[in-house]
Amino acid sequence: MDIVEILLKILFAILVVVVIMTIAAYSVLAERKVASWIQGRVGPNRTALPGLSAIPVLGRFLVRMGMWQPLADGVKFLFKEDPLPGHVKKWYYCLAPVVALVPSLSTVAVLPFGAYWVNGVEYPLVLANVDIGILFILAISSLTVYGIVMAGWAANSKYPYFGSIRSSAQMISYELAMGMSVIPVFMWANGPATGFGDLTLFGVVAAQKDLWLGIWMPLPAFVFLVSLFAETNRLPFDMPESETELVGGFHTEYGSFKFGLFFVGEYAAMAIGSAVFVVLFLGGWNFLPTFGFLPDWVANPWATWGWFGSVVSVLFFIGKTLTFIFLFIWVRWTLPRFRYDQVMNLGWKYLVPLAVASIIIYAIVIALWDTAVTVDHIKPETFGPAPQ
Amino acid sequence: MAKVLERKPLTFAEKTYLPQVLGGLKITFKNMLGKKVTMEYPEERPNIPDNYRGVPTLVHDPNGREKCVSCQLCEFVCPPKAIRITPGSIPEGDEHEHVEKAPQDFEINMLRCIYCGMCQEVCPEEAIFLQDVYSLVGTSREELVFHKKKLYELGGTRPDQHYKWDVKKAAEEEALAGNGHH
Amino acid sequence: MPATTKEVDMQDVAARGADYGEELHGEEMTLNMGPSHPATHGVLRLRLKLDGDFITECDPVIGYLHRGDEKIAENMTYNQFVPYTDRLDYLAPLANNVCYAIAVEKLANLEVPPRCQTIRIICCELARISSHLLGLGVYGMDTGAMTTFLYTFTEREKLYSLFEELTGARFTTSYTRIGGVARDIPEGWLGRVSNFLNQFEPKIDELDNLLTRNKIFLDRTKDIAIISREDAIAYAFTGPNLRASGVDSDLRRDRPYCGYEDYDFEVPIGTVGDAYDRYLVRMEEVRQSVRIVRQAIDKMPEGPYFAEDAKKIHVPPKAKVLTSMEELIQNFMIVTEGPQMPAGEVYFEAENPKGILGFFIHSKGGGVPFRLKIRAPSFCSLSILPKIAKGLMMSDVPVVLGSFDFVMGECDR
Repeated sequence: MDIVEILLKILFAILVVVVIMTIAAYSVLAERKVASWIQGRVGPNRTALPGLSAIPVLGRFLVRMGMWQPLADGVKFLFKEDPLPGHVKKWYYCLAPVVALVPSLSTVAVLPFGAYWVNGVEYPLVLANVDIGILFILAISSLTVYGIVMAGWAANSKYPYFGSIRSSAQMISYELAMGMSVIPVFMWANGPATGFGDLTLFGVVAAQKDLWLGIWMPLPAFVFLVSLFAETNRLPFDMPESETELVGGFHTEYGSFKFGLFFVGEYAAMAIGSAVFVVLFLGGWNFLPTFGFLPDWVANPWATWGWFGSVVSVLFFIGKTLTFIFLFIWVRWTLPRFRYDQVMNLGWKYLVPLAVASIIIYAIVIALWDTAVTVDHIKPETFGPAPQ
Repeated sequence: MAKVLERKPLTFAEKTYLPQVLGGLKITFKNMLGKKVTMEYPEERPNIPDNYRGVPTLVHDPNGREKCVSCQLCEFVCPPKAIRITPGSIPEGDEHEHVEKAPQDFEINMLRCIYCGMCQEVCPEEAIFLQDVYSLVGTSREELVFHKKKLYELGGTRPDQHYKWDVKKAAEEEALAGNGHH
Repeated sequence: MPATTKEVDMQDVAARGADYGEELHGEEMTLNMGPSHPATHGVLRLRLKLDGDFITECDPVIGYLHRGDEKIAENMTYNQFVPYTDRLDYLAPLANNVCYAIAVEKLANLEVPPRCQTIRIICCELARISSHLLGLGVYGMDTGAMTTFLYTFTEREKLYSLFEELTGARFTTSYTRIGGVARDIPEGWLGRVSNFLNQFEPKIDELDNLLTRNKIFLDRTKDIAIISREDAIAYAFTGPNLRASGVDSDLRRDRPYCGYEDYDFEVPIGTVGDAYDRYLVRMEEVRQSVRIVRQAIDKMPEGPYFAEDAKKIHVPPKAKVLTSMEELIQNFMIVTEGPQMPAGEVYFEAENPKGILGFFIHSKGGGVPFRLKIRAPSFCSLSILPKIAKGLMMSDVPVVLGSFDFVMGECDR
């Protein structure tokens, strides 16, 4: 690897982080806007940059949409006085927001978000197309809980303590269901679809050319989605925060920039979670499933468009992700919240068994499929492209 | 008649949470597309109905006379004791000399006022009105104690149906003139 | 170098573990909830002892909103106290006004004309709708469904516009006077109320769909804080909280005032007495109130809106005060000396949205009560907390408090 390539990678990584942070910031705006629309309100609609809002028609529209609100929020978080309560454990108190944000951003490294085509062969647009893709994501994203636990502990106050205790229990429980629900996906991706493979997420997307897994694996998709809600602490599972009983949960004692980090971290986790869901169950950047009989170009109509095609694929992927972020927000403003022990019940008594059942069912189905259909036809050239 | 509220057990479908979640999502989605109820305040202003009880003000009659005669009934009735009147007499030679009194100072402490409208209700002169001013700000306590000048500024002029004192004056003048005839 | 052995003192881990077994009971945590906490609806403070997530002891601390209303009443005339009744149950000021006015009128042995009574009934029931709407919305928010709160608030806002038109203020209405109401209903107001009710019913169905059979909501509320029939009576529960425990009692029907006997409505009662039943009862009461208001609109009689013959109690109409000496003097007399009441004691209670609001008035004659005692339903509802909170989880506290639908302004007075 020469120096240029390394620099390129770094540039690429910065770009991706910037995009993720932007999406997170605008998810906050989306949350506020969607919440207010659902509730018959208007939402933030005043923040205007001088000059930009003077653009004839569009400017007014952008202001009404609150387009500059994330900027204003960011500036506010940055320049507010940063309070450091006297009773906190300072080192951990300052460390916690960072620990909460970093894992969500690290997981981006292995997440493929688009594709490029060289001579008709598809290669993923990804920072690191490592073999252990999904394991890496599951492992790193579960580190977020340390940030929350640390925050609750360091705040040295009872409500944050409750929040963080609940959060750790909840995260551990739902990790399990989440991890198990992706097993059928990889069984399929490494079995009938591509013959053999590994745990790269690119392989999963490639395996979904014919049929998005969400369509024929609704059960694992459902379990994964519910666990995702729990993992990102979104209503109806927002135990760590549950503002009516725990005031603000783990971030009760935080303010200003540190709170901002938690806040962005939460939305970044939500964005990444949605992206992972799209990759695993909704065909990633594929346009439409071919269902086995439609022509191949339906999956990726932009495969022959050169670099422009890659950009379109990335945009399409982001579009799908945003739809999911909208779903997250929509659900949040519709449902009541579970009680803490009910969350545990739901996780252990329903989701984990469901996940196990889906593993068994799909294992049998895939094994039968393999025996009946695939094995005979397996030829070396049908293997998926080797990882880069 | 008592109506015992039944609690129908949930059906199996409902126990899976899903139908209600989807139904709820449908409702919220419908509302999302619906009309917004927010009033965007500084641009849109609320409709103030006729009898609205806003900031209490003192009014002039159409002839420009201050209607308050400092009878202090409002001061008496004011439940939170927000009003303080310093009565004064009308100087000799004034065109409203025929009215016995006018307040020297009329003080309403807006920090105490509860906008109950009792002052307006009991005023025998229709001099104090709770009008449609609803937005009131001040940066100090002193600023929010309204004195006579400010109150009249806020109040403006209200129509008068009776011109009670003018009628009295006219009657007196007529009586005087009548006396001359006798 | 010769090898040396160093002795390390290893503790007997197993023995230590066994010792731990005895100590592993954990500590109780004292958690202070309120007076400024999103779940405690105002300024209630709860001192909770928690064993893990379970409450072992709950000690409500009240009085943060004490303003001495009862003492204030002794220092002012009967009419002057009307604005203070707004501030008891500040979510249903109109109903408080009516209850207080009827109590004083009972002391004076005064009959108000039918139009005034019908206006008062509309006021009471609209106040009930508005209060229950807030109760239900906040209950939804306590369980985490923020949107229901905003939906009910939207409806309440419309109601407040109606109140504003009727009384001149959105929140602190101060509408009744001893012997009548402050002013007649404005032109076309009844039609607007009717329009409101028509569009309101689909909205309440919407709320119903969002919560009533939602399993998450049921999980949170069903079989939580069950109050038995006996307990409810023993703790002097009233209103929807009492009816939710299965006691069939409603003053509007059992001891009608204001002409409630002429209206057709049902009294909803619960079967179990848990938090969910309290929700159901409120939901049904809102619908019944809509019925009552509709009937009242239909039968609104013509006539005076205050007791015209009560010359020593109700101030004369403004036009007469301005023109006639007799009425002017009367105006001054009533305002300065207060409405003249006979000596005696009277207790009147009315079915308010939160329960039975009672006024006990001890008069020694004249325009000022000698003693005025207020019986507030919220106070009684809260008094059961130490008993039922035991064994609940901390997350249940908002739900239980929400289900009581209490108001601290009334509890602390």
